[in-house]
Amino acid sequence: MRIEKCYFCSGPVYPGHGMMFVRNDCKSFRFCRSKCHKNFKKKRNPRKTRWTKAFRKASGKELTVDNALEFEKRRNMPVKYNRAIWDKTVEAMKRVEEIKRKRQARFIMNRLKKGIQLKKEEDIVEVKKNIHLIKAPHAGKAKQLEAKMVQKLQEDVDMADEDL
Amino acid sequence: MSLYNFKKIMVVPTAKDFIDITLSKTQRKTPTVVHKHYQIHRIRHFYMRKVKFTQQSYHDRLSQILTDFPSFQDIHPFYADLMNVLYDKDHYKLALGQINIAKNLIDNVAKDYVRLMKYGDSLYRCKQLKRAALGRMCTIVKRQKSSLEYLEQVRQHLSRLPSIDPNTRTLLLCGYPNVGKSSFINKVTRADVDVQPYAFTTKSLFVGHMDYRYLRWQVVDTPGILDHPLENRNTIEMQAITALAHLRAAVLYVMDVSEQCGHNLQQQLDLFNSIRPLFANKPLIIVANKCDVKMIAELSEEDQKIFSDLTAEGIIVIETSTLTEEGVMKVKTEACDRLLVHRVDNKMKGKKVHDVLNRLHLAMPAKRDEKDRPPFIPEGALTRKKTMDVDAPKRKTERDLEMEMGDDYILDLQKYWDLMNEEEKTDIVPEVWEGHNIADYIDPEIMKKLELLEQEEELKEKAGEYDSEEESEDEEMQEIRVLAKQIREKKQLLVATSKEKDIHGPRMPRTTTKVERAKLEKEMGGLGLDMTDKDDSHYAQNARRSRSVTKKRKRDVSVVPTSKTRSQSASRPPRDQSGLRDATMVKKAKIMMKIGQRDMIRQGKKGEGDRHIYDLKPKHLFSGKRTNGTNDRR
Repeated sequence: MRIEKCYFCSGPVYPGHGMMFVRNDCKSFRFCRSKCHKNFKKKRNPRKTRWTKAFRKASGKELTVDNALEFEKRRNMPVKYNRAIWDKTVEAMKRVEEIKRKRQARFIMNRLKKGIQLKKEEDIVEVKKNIHLIKAPHAGKAKQLEAKMVQKLQEDVDMADEDL
Repeated sequence: MSLYNFKKIMVVPTAKDFIDITLSKTQRKTPTVVHKHYQIHRIRHFYMRKVKFTQQSYHDRLSQILTDFPSFQDIHPFYADLMNVLYDKDHYKLALGQINIAKNLIDNVAKDYVRLMKYGDSLYRCKQLKRAALGRMCTIVKRQKSSLEYLEQVRQHLSRLPSIDPNTRTLLLCGYPNVGKSSFINKVTRADVDVQPYAFTTKSLFVGHMDYRYLRWQVVDTPGILDHPLENRNTIEMQAITALAHLRAAVLYVMDVSEQCGHNLQQQLDLFNSIRPLFANKPLIIVANKCDVKMIAELSEEDQKIFSDLTAEGIIVIETSTLTEEGVMKVKTEACDRLLVHRVDNKMKGKKVHDVLNRLHLAMPAKRDEKDRPPFIPEGALTRKKTMDVDAPKRKTERDLEMEMGDDYILDLQKYWDLMNEEEKTDIVPEVWEGHNIADYIDPEIMKKLELLEQEEELKEKAGEYDSEEESEDEEMQEIRVLAKQIREKKQLLVATSKEKDIHGPRMPRTTTKVERAKLEKEMGGLGLDMTDKDDSHYAQNARRSRSVTKKRKRDVSVVPTSKTRSQSASRPPRDQSGLRDATMVKKAKIMMKIGQRDMIRQGKKGEGDRHIYDLKPKHLFSGKRTNGTNDRR
């Protein structure tokens, strides 16, 4: 039993799912669902169809070159079963997966950093332009003016007292 | 050559079927339409054609039968004799003769009527002639009913005869019934002949094939023969006699030492002597069977004497037991060897050999020096040859295991795997983990690579790649963010309210609507201005000064006539109380009513029968990206 890769979207094809198409030049194509199959029949290029993994890798939106990705590779020479090897492999596999996920996440985070910067700038502009929607320009000003006037009157009174 | 044809004889139809087939064929394959007003030659031709066609069909089929069935001259005398025994030569020839006669009669009938038809002057007369012709032909065939039936049975039996090649190497088993001939053939070949305790279990000849010294051998099993003169023999025994008489084979006369077959040794010896003339010119072996029950050494003096007499005459006696398989191989090898020698001798005596011998020349290489160079035969070949001659016990197959264990048997091919450690054969091998194939990760150097990766990881962590970046935002930035969020929300609200307005018709400018005081104060209060105590503000004074709204005059309440309606309402209980006994029931009824209406109200329906769907294509189901999953509800 093997979990294959869909030719179009690079998603997993579990046993009992999907379709396989064999062309006259003996190349076989597996599809995970009819969406991918239909797109293939329409001759769409997966490297140009935005939602596929092939596009994401080709346009640099996902981690492509990394040592952690070299572990999972289809090998053509089968290895005889040996419990020790299998145990070690399973453990190593779990660790490699962890590291791989971390690295992929970090890559995407770095890519999205620019967006945070832009958002900050947008916020500043927004506040500058449209503050009037939530706060009237004279919001606290009336009280301030009153306080000022009171202060001024008080000063005048004081000055008058002094003069006297 | 003769064996081949027996299966290819075409089916002989019954008389009734034959007539039906031919007549329907005539109807289908000849033109069917003829009218009175046609020209007479056309009418005559039409009916003559039918007669001739019927005659042709009968003639063809009957000739085919005659040619298909073998004639006694054409086949090997063994088969001729066998057929005579089984089917009676005279009866067979008679049946075929009758068919031949029928064929000729039919031809004659057709000839006559066609000649008569030439003088038919009307449609009616021609038609009657044709009817008469066909009728006569069919009667002739009807009279052959019994012949045709007999021939059909002969054909069926012929096709099932065992295909015995009279010229090849053959071993023939004969003896009393129940001595063990069929068991012997079952052991030596792959044949599966019925073995039962009653006499005459085998009722006809059976053939099995075996291999010895890279050659194919036939083993023929016969029905048992009893000791009486030839004339008294029945069909079954006659088959055995025929086989003995015609096949050039090595004869294995099987005797039952333990006398379990129901006949003692003396009787068996008598039978042997009576059919001895048939064994002339054939290598003979006496098989003393059932030696597991009784060995020859355990017999009485007289019986032992019989065997010693036979050996004294020069006939080989071999003790066997088909149950324990001892001696069976010995018999086989002995018989085969002797037959081969016999055949070679015969060939040497014949004329054809000299032609071949003259052309053969065996070249012997001249000796170069005194060194001895014997032929090299590898050990494996020698051991293999030995096992070929004496069948070594085969290793236990899975099938044997299955038969032994019956229902408990489970096919487990993992036990044949060739692994370094034996205990790992029963392991369940994991293939998949969390969507990844384990087979893709298997690598002899995986631990080394993992080491390198871990080192890299450490370095990266030290370099600070994985630190979560929390830029310490100063308070100002935080405030700005909060304000921006509020601004966006307010904007959305404004947009939503303006969309809700849904104005049909001419749109009035904003300034025509009167602004209410409470609304104004609420809005401005939301924006942060202080709106308390604004009674003497400009807008409040203006509002007071405008004309106060005059209320409409109340209409005079008209007097409602009370007489009829009030009495009706008093006698009829109101709907929500009719049929209910007490207050608890009223309450319960009310609750039930409300529950019944609950779903309708929640879905905004006008009533029970309101199935109207306001939105056939709700936007949330049809918009957005279609990833894996369903779009029936989102």
